Amino acid sequence: MAGALVTAALIVGALLLTLVAPHALARWERLRTVPAQGLFLWQSVSLAGVAFALSAAPVAAATLGTDYPRLLLAALILSGLMLARLLWSGHTVGTELRRMRAEHRALVDLVGERLPLAEDGDAPSPAPAARHGKVSVLPQADPTAYCLPGRRDRIVLSRAALDRLGDEELGAVLAHEHAHLRQRHDLVLELFQVLHEAVPEPVRAGSALAEVRLLGELLADRGAARRVGAATVGRALVALVTPGSARQVRRRLAALAADPAPAWLRHGLPVLSSAVLALPVVLLALALWGS
Amino acid sequence: MRLRTNSLGDLERVVMDTLWSHGPDLSVRDVMEHMHGSGKKELAYTTVMTVLDRLAKKSIAQRTRDGRAWRYTAAASREELAATALRSTLDNVQADRRLAMMHFLDDASPGEIDDLRAALVEVERRHG
Repeated sequence: MAGALVTAALIVGALLLTLVAPHALARWERLRTVPAQGLFLWQSVSLAGVAFALSAAPVAAATLGTDYPRLLLAALILSGLMLARLLWSGHTVGTELRRMRAEHRALVDLVGERLPLAEDGDAPSPAPAARHGKVSVLPQADPTAYCLPGRRDRIVLSRAALDRLGDEELGAVLAHEHAHLRQRHDLVLELFQVLHEAVPEPVRAGSALAEVRLLGELLADRGAARRVGAATVGRALVALVTPGSARQVRRRLAALAADPAPAWLRHGLPVLSSAVLALPVVLLALALWGS
Repeated sequence: MRLRTNSLGDLERVVMDTLWSHGPDLSVRDVMEHMHGSGKKELAYTTVMTVLDRLAKKSIAQRTRDGRAWRYTAAASREELAATALRSTLDNVQADRRLAMMHFLDDASPGEIDDLRAALVEVERRHG
């Protein structure tokens, strides 16, 4: 009996966490005031969803016996297919991302100029982040700044971005990119990309992916604000705004101006996230104990 | 091994700089002379030839036969190559095509810019 209940709970949990939760979390704007805790919650929900989805059929097989052999076989095959799809997605996303980054880095190294700030070691530089890592400037008329993560990481600025930024704002942009690199936001986003592409296309939540990307930006903005102040980060964001990024910049400015999140949210979310992560483990333990 | 790839990358860069500023149609000897003229330490003929060969294989440089030697030209200007680089990041970041499309449709109006300025004033008021 426990087996049937746990199996049902696993199926319901899998459906809730993979189909409903991404849409709900993407709409929960309050998470933007606590981006680190928000990303932890997103990860917990996603990983628990995967654990639920993959374990439902094996648990049913182990606990329900073989009254409906065909149904059970179909369920096990479905689990196997889901696992295969997940692994395949991990493989393709991972190799493709690394190949593109390597190609891109080679190109940047070829056409980019090194930012002179990165080389004068003695003078008190307005951009301390520039001393670590390589900063390349591309001869481009669109303002952009981004980083290429990995073992040989790079920060890349376009010439137009450099022209639009004062020394302080440049420090803010470099501190922002440096926060991405130091905290390896790329790995977090890669996890979500893998899960996103593992799900069949009609049920993918594009808004979820956009929201976790925004949380990554907000987290880097915070890192930069701690170094150079929120006002400087805000000025840098406005200096680099393009038609395409206006909406995202608006949200990031709102986050910079927002009141600090209340303590219950800051401390409650990690507890909630841990509970969500523990849920599949508890259910599996119940199933084994009950059988 | 890592050092070697790094230095090869640096060499490719110096050679491309030469093709960009002194091209088109440079022979290996021309490239060497220009590099030497710019105060760089002198490189062996075969080294420069190898680098140019690599650049041609990667289609970053093009070559035409001139008697028994090759003449090399940058396949694209520095700006064009940088534009290629930027386009690939845009595709990379916006794996979701619909998002990329939205960027083109979504033109910032003057109202939006004012809105951003107001938001910035609010940030400055709170953290100034």
